[in-house]
Amino acid sequence: MNIREQDRLIRLINNPPKGSKLAAAKEYGIDLSLLVRTLNLTPTERLQELAGAQQFHEELRQSMRRR
Amino acid sequence: MNFFERTLINLFEGGVNFVVIGGVAISAHGSAHVTFDLDICYDRSPENILRLVDGLKPCHPRLRGAPAELPFLFDSETIRRGLNFTLTTDPADINLLSEVAGIGHYKEALARSTTLELFGRPCHVLSLEGLIAAKRAAGRPRDLAVLPELEALHELETLQFEKADESGQPGKDSHNDREKPKGIRPH
Repeated sequence: MNIREQDRLIRLINNPPKGSKLAAAKEYGIDLSLLVRTLNLTPTERLQELAGAQQFHEELRQSMRRR
Repeated sequence: MNFFERTLINLFEGGVNFVVIGGVAISAHGSAHVTFDLDICYDRSPENILRLVDGLKPCHPRLRGAPAELPFLFDSETIRRGLNFTLTTDPADINLLSEVAGIGHYKEALARSTTLELFGRPCHVLSLEGLIAAKRAAGRPRDLAVLPELEALHELETLQFEKADESGQPGKDSHNDREKPKGIRPH
């Protein structure tokens, strides 16, 4: 994503058009700012992050078991 | 190599026909949603079932949530006799589905998929439009809860297509686009 595209995305997310799905998601409570980050990643990078979250969750769970 | 990579590469190398659906598909499209299992819709042809079994066997699949003493043999006969399997494997959990709510079987899922490059390989992933249809059809609170984000992502995708159309450039995925997956479009 180049700087211009990113600026456009940030503008859309900060001020979604009335009646849009973006506005509905924001109203629902979705943190749209997270999408700026994820959409800058490739699909593989997104799954690598997901696997990292999975690993962190597992480590946390094991740590709780050890307590 | 993480779980998703290990499992998907086993399936790619085994020549298995499948479509990634569910939470991993949602994440691959750019959602911040977190999931811990891999859902796939698989082709039920006898040849593909053989490939699926061979592809997953190195991960030692066994039934998830079943008593340890319950006998379970992960082979083509077992898959042929069943439809949907919730499995755990050495790396993590995987769900094998013969049908997706609101979509249909493998062929319909494939028709409503998009090809994303995952770990250096082209992979069929249910499209955002397909995921929205599937989640609506499933209708459980947990499915409906992801709809607003999916619809927002789909809208961003559409806006990007419109922008591309205005500039006279192709608006839909081309092979070259997939080689450079970064962009406003989630894929």
